Amino acid sequence: MEKIANIMVPVSGHKIDEEAIGLACRVARAGKGRVYVVYVIEVTRTLPLNAELETEVKKGEVILDKAERVAEEVDYEVESELLQAREVGPALVDEAIERGVDLIIIGVPYKKRFGEFNLGKVAPYMLKNAPCRVWLVRQAISD
Amino acid sequence: MYIIVAGGGKVGYYLAKELLSEGHEVLVIEQSAKKCEQISEELGSIALRGDACETTTLADAGMARADMVVAVTGDDEDNLVICQVAKKKFNAPRTIARINNPKNEPIFRKLGIDVTVSSTNIILEHLEAELPTHSVVHLLELRAQGLEILDIKVPPNSPAVGKLLKDLPIPANSVVSLHLSLKHGPSIPKGDSVIEAGDAMVVVTTPENEARLKEVLTGR
Repeated sequence: MEKIANIMVPVSGHKIDEEAIGLACRVARAGKGRVYVVYVIEVTRTLPLNAELETEVKKGEVILDKAERVAEEVDYEVESELLQAREVGPALVDEAIERGVDLIIIGVPYKKRFGEFNLGKVAPYMLKNAPCRVWLVRQAISD
Repeated sequence: MYIIVAGGGKVGYYLAKELLSEGHEVLVIEQSAKKCEQISEELGSIALRGDACETTTLADAGMARADMVVAVTGDDEDNLVICQVAKKKFNAPRTIARINNPKNEPIFRKLGIDVTVSSTNIILEHLEAELPTHSVVHLLELRAQGLEILDIKVPPNSPAVGKLLKDLPIPANSVVSLHLSLKHGPSIPKGDSVIEAGDAMVVVTTPENEARLKEVLTGR
């Protein structure tokens, strides 16, 4: 496997994010790489893309602060970024391309929709469109 | 500008592409999931899946802040509804509709659609200019005034040949504004201008008077 220098971890505020960040830090440490934690605010079409969304920004900052603390616990430093976009998936792929990311690690909560396990919208989009490796960390069913 | 394009077919796709390249914020509303996916893959997150005739879809699209809506679906009825809802419900400043059947154009205008574009009419206008059998060419439409500018060629067998302009029964609300004489070149027509075969007249008239004017100057 090639050396992994840049890892991106998209976060949504779910508990599984912590596992994804922990894993990213361990992998990055081995390759002396960087970890980017990204939170995307989805802006509805009723608002311009650069609208000031105080509540959403605050929520995003709380989630990113938490991510940084999780990284500190494993004694690793991460860079965090808050983005505003129309759709989360394409925004993350664009960010990954821009930053030259080698690996994306996404935490996926165990969710059911109409009684069936559902990956949601973002993870399948990343799997299909991300130019780099994508690792999924699925939450344990018992959690 | 924020421009909403209703209809993600070929016209909608290329229109969105051009508008994006000009730096506008664009959203394409399209019912087909496949077309939406294709647009998103090629042009970015600018496609919204839904029926643009529905108020809820237009609300989700942010119609309230749109500067312009362009309805380019393949159905005239849908294009009319989209523009009307945008205009009446969301006070869209500018609505543009594609018309497939040229006969629907007056209806669209009566119902307050700002601009209509009929590809059939555009092709017809080009045909008129290219085909020698067409003696009338529509140069310009002055929609706000309810007028049009025509270029009418006088054929050799026209009853107008050899007559003075003042002797021709030019319909009311029509002005012959330019006489393009084969012999003498262009001139501002006067009452004593003699009409000759092969001349062309540029006339401002109403659509209602077009047929009568054509008869007077071409005999057809």
